Amino acid sequence: MKKKVISMLLAGAMVLSLAACGGGSSDSGSSGGGAAAADSGSSGGGAAAAADSGSSGGSGTKLTIWTWDQSFNIAAMNTAIEMYKADHPDFDAEVIETPSEDCETKLTTCANSGDYSTMADIVLMQDNSYQKFLASYPDAFTDLSDIGIDWSQFPELKQSYSMVGDQHFGVPFDNGAVIGCYRTDILEEAGYTIDDLTDITWTRFMEIGQDVFAKTGKYLLSSEASGGDTLLMMIFSCGAGVVDADGNPYIVDNEAVKACVDIYVQMIKNNVVLLVNSWDDYIKSITTGQTAGIVNGNWITGTLMSTEDQAGKWEITTMPRVDGVATATNYANNGGSSWYITSNCKDVALAKDFLLNTFGNNTDFYDAILPTTGAIACYLPAAETEAYNAPSEYFNGQPIFATIVEYSGHIPAYNRTPYHYESRTALNTAVQQIVDGADPATALQEAQDTLAFNMGQ
Amino acid sequence: MNTKKKGMTLIEKQRMSGWFFLAPASIMIAVMSFYPMIRAFILSLQTGTGVNMKFTGFSNYQRILADKVFIQSIGNTFFYLIIQVPIMLVLAILLAQLLNNQHLRFKGLFRTCVFLPCATSLVSYAIIFRSLFAQDGLVNSVLVNLHILPQAYNFLGNALSARIVIIIALIWRWTGYNMVFYLSGLQNIEYSVYEAAKIDGANGWKTFWGITVPLLRPTIIMTFIMSINGTLQLFDESVNLTKGGPANASITMSHYIYNTCFVNVPNFGYASAMSFIVFIMVAILAFINLKVGDTRD
Repeated sequence: MKKKVISMLLAGAMVLSLAACGGGSSDSGSSGGGAAAADSGSSGGGAAAAADSGSSGGSGTKLTIWTWDQSFNIAAMNTAIEMYKADHPDFDAEVIETPSEDCETKLTTCANSGDYSTMADIVLMQDNSYQKFLASYPDAFTDLSDIGIDWSQFPELKQSYSMVGDQHFGVPFDNGAVIGCYRTDILEEAGYTIDDLTDITWTRFMEIGQDVFAKTGKYLLSSEASGGDTLLMMIFSCGAGVVDADGNPYIVDNEAVKACVDIYVQMIKNNVVLLVNSWDDYIKSITTGQTAGIVNGNWITGTLMSTEDQAGKWEITTMPRVDGVATATNYANNGGSSWYITSNCKDVALAKDFLLNTFGNNTDFYDAILPTTGAIACYLPAAETEAYNAPSEYFNGQPIFATIVEYSGHIPAYNRTPYHYESRTALNTAVQQIVDGADPATALQEAQDTLAFNMGQ
Repeated sequence: MNTKKKGMTLIEKQRMSGWFFLAPASIMIAVMSFYPMIRAFILSLQTGTGVNMKFTGFSNYQRILADKVFIQSIGNTFFYLIIQVPIMLVLAILLAQLLNNQHLRFKGLFRTCVFLPCATSLVSYAIIFRSLFAQDGLVNSVLVNLHILPQAYNFLGNALSARIVIIIALIWRWTGYNMVFYLSGLQNIEYSVYEAAKIDGANGWKTFWGITVPLLRPTIIMTFIMSINGTLQLFDESVNLTKGGPANASITMSHYIYNTCFVNVPNFGYASAMSFIVFIMVAILAFINLKVGDTRD
């Protein structure tokens, strides 16, 4: 009897907790379009349970949008929806939080089954992923060349990520200009200021880093061991790529790559760069004050600003440049993303109009999302507005937005490849091997062979 | 003629009902397992990125021979297999033996405790192990504070230790699972057999090797096959715990296959070919296992 009662209780608790889970998720699902459901009783929002794309009929088309970061691109998209809705009362759209990896996995799965019906209408994609998917699944994308955007108002480098020939497949969203970000309090402890780290070389960076480590026990930089972008950023800042103009691997005889690998390995060995094992650890190394600096795409400021107790301690400047390479600069691009309209879009004209009038040509919109999300526009006219020149409290009063936009004008172009992630893995593997004592030439040869192998059929 | 028209005989009816009961499961297996296998094989004969596939015969299988990362992943997987499976099964059998003791109190509690790890999801336990063995994780801080280590050790950043962490994680996760099979096997052994052994003067060790192990043989074979199968398809730990690193030192075959499809430029033909190699390995190992364990001479 006792057993029965206990098992009943347990079963009951389980059912309840499961139900709570279900309730929770449906809550968050509707919260995205919370405002929508409130004002438009007619849209059939009442039948919210049918949140799938099947419920599209009725009053106008409801666009579904996949994107992944609550405090960043989801917030920006929600602002866009609200602004567009102000002019178009019939408009309805729902943002479904989908991690970046899932967006890509879903696209891959849909494409291979030849059935795109489960895709959303508009999806955000990492710029670094575009070329790979455009080459692999050209039929998944809608050509946006005729969307009506004045493309000359966006940096060419940014556009080129999502282009094939002259065709556009992405509406640019956030800027990926690389910044150097430093904890001024830790620098001060070691006797340095932000100016000592401005426009410097990596060799100088290493000297300072060793000094900082000796005096404070903190690293000057952290990077992910196998998925880190640091090395690639260094290479790209020289205007060099890991492939030649024909797209073939170009590592072994590439002076820029060799110089970057060399200095990067030295920094790891000399306690200047801390190698961590995952993205979580990377973020943790920053938020716990284990490292005094960041070199990454400026979108990292969004994550940084959520660490409120460090407000006022951070300042930004340029990233270091590689010494001994003639084309080296203090500027690079890392990450950033663009919106694409899937081939499953139910109302392409509407989706295009929506993207055009928000992300495509609207400085008011970019001003609106800037303070809340820190999403810095690629839309050049946006940078001239007041909002962009406002000082940022978190960054000790620096006008970081205008600064970052200024940086993005200096970024050199480089040879891109659909095999971006393969090259990253291959190079990081080589770095690991060299740090563990392998001969650099052998390790780089292996990286080149691996990349060439990946590119083969 | 007439008799036939009357309908089926009793035996025929029984046979029919037998087929009737078999049909649903068989059809499901055919549709869910065999059909995809055939499709995967066809896919493995094609090559190309994304949807631009064309038939090229066995070129993907030739490609495998030149793929250093895949060969390394085979090595890693067998490293796990050879070290982890025996340790885990021996532990499981010992635990089962302990917990099968008739005089032990709180048996249920102990059994639940040992089995409990199996109730955690693969991803979450892998992430927990990752944070346990992080440089500022629990393991490091305990070892440093006990002065066993002078400074935090980067467990997941070194090839050998990363693999060992995966093995420890696997043992933690799966020992209880296998123990349950052994427990149920042990309960099928008549207690009188043990009593007879006792009377004949056999000690615990002798009883274990002379009675328990032979009588558990079918269960041991089953757990062996399942463990080998599971280890060859190891995925979550490699992805979530070590991310295959450092420098591919802990990447498993399934993880690499996944990368080929979903992280790198998608090449499903090649990925299918690699999957087929894994399939063949599982089949061969299971076959050997069955032959070795076959008591019929």
